[in-house]
Amino acid sequence: MPSDLIAAERGAWRPMLTMRRAPRRPERTAWLTERAAALLLPLVVPAVLLALWQLSATHGWVSVQVLPPPALVAQTLFDLLWSGDISGNLWISLRRILSGFLIGGLAGMALGIAMGLSPRVEHYLSPLFRAVAQVPSLGWLPFLILLVGIGEPLKFLIIAKACFVPMALNSFEGIRNIPPSFLEVARVFRLSRRALVLKVVLPATLPPVFSGVRLALSHAWIALVIVEMLASTEGIGYLTAWGRTLFQVDVVMAGMAVIGVVGLAMDAGLKRIERRLRRWSPARA
Amino acid sequence: MPAAPPFLHAPGPRIRRGAVLPAALLLAWAAAHSGLVNGHLLVPVEKVALVPFLDPQGIHLWPGLAASLARMAAGFTIGAAAGLLLGLSMGLSRTADRLFGPTLHAVRQIALYAWIPLLTAWFGNGEPAKVVFIALSAFFPMVLNTQEGLRTVPAAYREVARVLTLSRWQLLRRVLLPGAMPSIAIGVQLALIYAWLATVGAEYAMGLGRGVGTLLSEGREHFRMDIVIVGVLTLALVGFAINAAFGRIFARALRWRGPAR
Amino acid sequence: MTTPGSLDLRAVGKTYAVDGRPLTVLQDIDLRIEPGEFLAIVGASGCGKSTLLRLIIGLDDGYDGDILLDGHRITGPGLERGIVFQEHRLFPWLTVEENVGIGLEATSVPAAEKRRAIREHIDLVGLSGFEKAYPYQLSGGMAQRAAIARGLVNRPEILLLDEPLGALDSLTRVHLQDELLRIWTQENVTMLLVTHDVEEAVYLADRVVVMEPRPGRIRRILPIDLPRPRNRAAPAFAAVKETIIQELRR
Ligand SMILES: Nc1ncnc2c1ncn2[C@@H]1O[C@H](COP(=O)(O)OP(=O)(O)OP(=O)(O)O)[C@@H](O)[C@H]1O
Ligand SMILES: [Mg+2]
Repeated sequence: MPSDLIAAERGAWRPMLTMRRAPRRPERTAWLTERAAALLLPLVVPAVLLALWQLSATHGWVSVQVLPPPALVAQTLFDLLWSGDISGNLWISLRRILSGFLIGGLAGMALGIAMGLSPRVEHYLSPLFRAVAQVPSLGWLPFLILLVGIGEPLKFLIIAKACFVPMALNSFEGIRNIPPSFLEVARVFRLSRRALVLKVVLPATLPPVFSGVRLALSHAWIALVIVEMLASTEGIGYLTAWGRTLFQVDVVMAGMAVIGVVGLAMDAGLKRIERRLRRWSPARA
Repeated sequence: MPAAPPFLHAPGPRIRRGAVLPAALLLAWAAAHSGLVNGHLLVPVEKVALVPFLDPQGIHLWPGLAASLARMAAGFTIGAAAGLLLGLSMGLSRTADRLFGPTLHAVRQIALYAWIPLLTAWFGNGEPAKVVFIALSAFFPMVLNTQEGLRTVPAAYREVARVLTLSRWQLLRRVLLPGAMPSIAIGVQLALIYAWLATVGAEYAMGLGRGVGTLLSEGREHFRMDIVIVGVLTLALVGFAINAAFGRIFARALRWRGPAR
Repeated sequence: MTTPGSLDLRAVGKTYAVDGRPLTVLQDIDLRIEPGEFLAIVGASGCGKSTLLRLIIGLDDGYDGDILLDGHRITGPGLERGIVFQEHRLFPWLTVEENVGIGLEATSVPAAEKRRAIREHIDLVGLSGFEKAYPYQLSGGMAQRAAIARGLVNRPEILLLDEPLGALDSLTRVHLQDELLRIWTQENVTMLLVTHDVEEAVYLADRVVVMEPRPGRIRRILPIDLPRPRNRAAPAFAAVKETIIQELRR
């Protein structure tokens, strides 16, 4: 890379718009202000929202039915955790995700690999696959409800499909994107087929396949919430919708918090693993 | 943010092979109908095609589609505009990014459909709740892609702007916005798709009023597989049309990137 | 001072903080560039040549000593100085015409006048016919020409060139060197050229500044007294070139 670009990027930590005529303070004070801003500014919006929420509750701006006070929501969340309502329903949800992911994801990976390795397979299967992928989980829902009812198979199918598509796509592209030069190197060194798979194909496809895993699980989580809210009698999505039926907004909010936290934890954990897997290739996004 | 998958290869002799399975499925469908299986679920192929035109229920597809698209347009406009504004401010000001970024990323983790119970509790099952939900769906991809686009405009280009003593406004208009445009365009495309799915989802979950989603949920309640299939196909086709139409606009507006992509 | 464009560097130094520790990149740079002069700077990679140009153009005002343009201390970018970066840095979303025109964006020149200046400078660098081309449609040499036109379009007193021909093949480079000379005489502009290529420096410059690294200092300033057009094959040319190479090796 040309040296100018590097120098420019090195200086990039100062956003241009704010630096034009920055006051010259001693460096240490500037550093402290910077740290304080980084730590405190993110807390402002939540604090303001919380304060407004609390104020609204104490002054009765909106009815408690519509917006229960923060303390009540916290209490409800705590109660639901304590009583096992949350852990029980969450466990059911996670089991659904797991089984759907194991079967749907593995099938997707198998299809992706087969299409990646054999153009013939790709020719036969990809149009149908694309059509299936084009219909979102939401579309499959009413269709599958008519076919299999609203029992456990429905959830399994929806989640399996949500995992199937990204896994197939990413495995396919992972294999397709192995640079031909890698394969040539392998031929030059006369690697056995086994060694070729172990030493070249696997390491090169692992990162994209793992991105597929992350995508699959996040799609599965979204699909799960849809299906549990619309057609279920247990699970974390059902718990949230149930709170709505009883007009207990505190339960709804507690459910949303759990859904958010689980989503966040899953995403953060998988991103970490993904970064680790991709460490050797910093250029990839 | 994911770009559109590079999955659309040029068709060739593969069309023949690709048609085999779908054709076989159609045949199996037709054959199955003429015999064995449970009659009212396996509707005949040719009947499905006529449902939107002849069936007294199916004919509701057209006003439903119009209502859905109008609803989507309203929600998308609100959500995308708000997302664009917030994304711009977060991309341009470090302070704004620090103020809103963390909260936004936390809230984004709540699976979108989990908002429906809360929104219906706040706004009822009518139009406002649906539009807010659609706006919310369009909002997130718009914010993220706008901010990301601005953030990744190379520092080298900002330096050129400084050397040429461009004003802030000129910097924004001539450098930052065009530089961010590819990412913003992806944001718009994703926002449109999400808004469309959210439209049908909201109609399906909340009921009330016309719409493709309402048609779907009624079709399901009355065990009308033909109507459900028509609804699902509409859902998919509109999504497909949005992508296709947008892809063309996109290619035109960004032709400065050259054919290499 | 009658003709503007004289640049005075007095005890200029630059220190970066790298991981909290100071790193002196430039030290005690004393240099006077006369109006209308063609000055070249050569030096090993990393000796601070680009840093020096960044200070002069005003992208970085945290430095020691003084940089005076026509007697005034430089405090930020200004249109009386132009720069051509090593990578052309044309905006990919603007056509050649618009890229050159953006050099005039911050001025209050009337539109008709702007159009004329743009056309003239596109002609000057020999890009007529490519006004509507996007950067991806240009070759490396053409892109550098466009960047030179952008640097010159608002008629700066001094043009800084940071290895502008470094990435080009040798044929194109030799050709563009002649173009640079032509533009220099035609525009009557002070030129400050950073280059890796000693031959290029000797071919173009009135004086060559040889820098040494860690920290970046001026080792020697050599006047090139050969008459133009210079002949690269002449023994005198080779002798000067050899002297500079010896200086760089030391
Ligand atoms: N923003 C920065 N922060 C810290 N160090 C820097 C920064 N910019 C440049 N440097 C250091 O200053 C030194 C000089 O860099 P500069 O880019 O000026 O060298 P150069 O002479 O232009 O080299 P080249 O011929 O390779 O372009 C290098 O050691 C570099 O690491
Ligand atoms: Mg340099």
